[in-house]
Amino acid sequence: MVIETDGLTKMYCQKVGCSEICLNVGEGQIFGFLGPNGAGKSTLVKILVGLLFPTAGSARILGKPLGDQGVRRKIGFLPENFRYQDWLTGVELLSFHGSLYGLRGAEKTRRIRQVLERVGLGDKGRQKVGSYSKGMQQRVGLACALLPDPELIFLDEPTSALDPLGRREVREIMLDLREKGKTIFLNSHLLSEVEMICDRVAIINKGNIVKEGPLGKLLAGAVEVEMVAGNITQKMVDELSALGSLLKVKGNTIRLSLRETGDIPVVAEIVVNNGGRLFSLNTRQNSLEDLFVDLVKEGGADKC
Amino acid sequence: MLTIAALTCKEVVRRRILLVTIVLAAAFLSLYGIGVHYGYQDMGGSQYAGPMSALIAPMFLSLGLYFGSFIIAFLAVMAAVGSVSGEIENGVINAIVPSPVRRVDIILGKFIGYSLMLSVFSSLFYAAVLLIVRYNTGLHLPVKAGAITLFCLQPVVLLAVTMFGSTFLSTLANGIACFMLYAVGVVGGMLEQIGTLVNSQMLVNIGIVSSLLMPADSVYRKIVFNLLSAPGSSMSYMMLGPFGSYSEPSVWMLVYTGLYIVIFLALASLIFSRKDI
Ligand SMILES: Nc1ncnc2c1ncn2[C@@H]1O[C@H](COP(=O)(O)OP(=O)(O)O)[C@@H](O)[C@H]1O
Ligand SMILES: [Mg+2]
Repeated sequence: MVIETDGLTKMYCQKVGCSEICLNVGEGQIFGFLGPNGAGKSTLVKILVGLLFPTAGSARILGKPLGDQGVRRKIGFLPENFRYQDWLTGVELLSFHGSLYGLRGAEKTRRIRQVLERVGLGDKGRQKVGSYSKGMQQRVGLACALLPDPELIFLDEPTSALDPLGRREVREIMLDLREKGKTIFLNSHLLSEVEMICDRVAIINKGNIVKEGPLGKLLAGAVEVEMVAGNITQKMVDELSALGSLLKVKGNTIRLSLRETGDIPVVAEIVVNNGGRLFSLNTRQNSLEDLFVDLVKEGGADKC
Repeated sequence: MLTIAALTCKEVVRRRILLVTIVLAAAFLSLYGIGVHYGYQDMGGSQYAGPMSALIAPMFLSLGLYFGSFIIAFLAVMAAVGSVSGEIENGVINAIVPSPVRRVDIILGKFIGYSLMLSVFSSLFYAAVLLIVRYNTGLHLPVKAGAITLFCLQPVVLLAVTMFGSTFLSTLANGIACFMLYAVGVVGGMLEQIGTLVNSQMLVNIGIVSSLLMPADSVYRKIVFNLLSAPGSSMSYMMLGPFGSYSEPSVWMLVYTGLYIVIFLALASLIFSRKDI
């Protein structure tokens, strides 16, 4: 495992940052860490990169406990509120970061050229970082994270300031890195982005992980059914709601969300057995968005 | 650590901190030069010329060094006031702390970088003041490496405290606190001189306490004493009022100053090493 956390908890005074986080991230994955604003995503990443000290719990990164200096050489990090020394040029900034990571001489120059090219700033390296747009600053931040050719990269909302094209480029960079066997820990609240590239996701809400697993598996389970039927009776509705959660009953239309795909024929049976007349039955695979909204809403209801 | 130090030097130059201070210093030195020149020249025609001239040259010298220290102290505090807090506030530090450098090295690197820049500036300033005085008044003072070192030491004392404050105070609060502390040192130092003159133990004690709180001022007194008490330069250092030094701060004061710097640096490193960012 590249990242193993055990009961990681961070309290800000009395406020929960994140609580009892237990995660395992394997090598060569893109791990999506999802959650609404203020859920505790950045808090966890900051603990893992050594900016914050956990209140409780422990973690191992690349086999070493938190705070191990040697491991840091193999980790890249793009902070959420990226800001860089605006009085440096892009190349100087990267050169500084390269030195921090022990890069020297020709090797460093070569890497700098490579990563600047990679993030689309190949011709802007001589400009001052202060003159970059927000998006360009995020790109140079990504370049800093990639510079030491890390094995593990933490990206905290890496596309927040980018235009759609930039987002796409960053996705391609992430997929490229995975090709090379690197592990990526991606913090995001952009569900479509996560859905497109992540292998595994965890969803965090109010500091607690509410769901975790391979993306395919999380989405496979639930399925939504919409049907139009005549003769809807209360008994029929009751039996249907036992299969999952009823979303809507209005006139002839029933929408419900099932726990399993295997229940779809059962839905038809219930309707027919109760004397209903089934006109249409459509299924829709749950998107990550549905799952996310469900989980986050539930969590909200729990606590309030 | 050296990477951080180099970046810090670059920062001082790039962000025009040094430039502004050099321009200010140049303005001050021109004014000072003109003052010394005419002050000395015009006095030549007056009836007191003889006895006064032996007195006035050291007075000019200590005046120059005194306000020089002031400018340099200003530079030290302004440069380092946000060295940690400012970078946390704007987020620049977020990308540096996770790198393989230890947090202690970040603090030490910054300290070395600032110290270097301050020392270069202090030495130049010191040389300029001595040259102006010598050119205009003919007061011949030996070049003392010790005095130059001490002159460079003054801002470093402030630097250590300022960096310490910067690890847990906001930039603004730290700036206020450090200038206050500096003022305590300055006022205390003056009171001590007056106290010695009028034989008031109370004032002397205030001075001692203040120089324990902020030893930069006693470093200045030591320089003045060192420079002006050389055999042959009469007893003029006695007549410099609050800018002078009636008694030489002991070597222990220097030891204390060294410890002061080390302790504040150590505390800064310790606090920063445990800080959530
Ligand atoms: N420095 C801090 N002091 C106090 N509370 C904080 C601090 N940083 C974050 N929090 C709180 O911790 C929670 C999680 O924040 P964060 O990890 O930044 O969320 P996310 O990145 O998921 O949007 C939020 O409720 C936030 O208000
Ligand atoms: Mg965040």
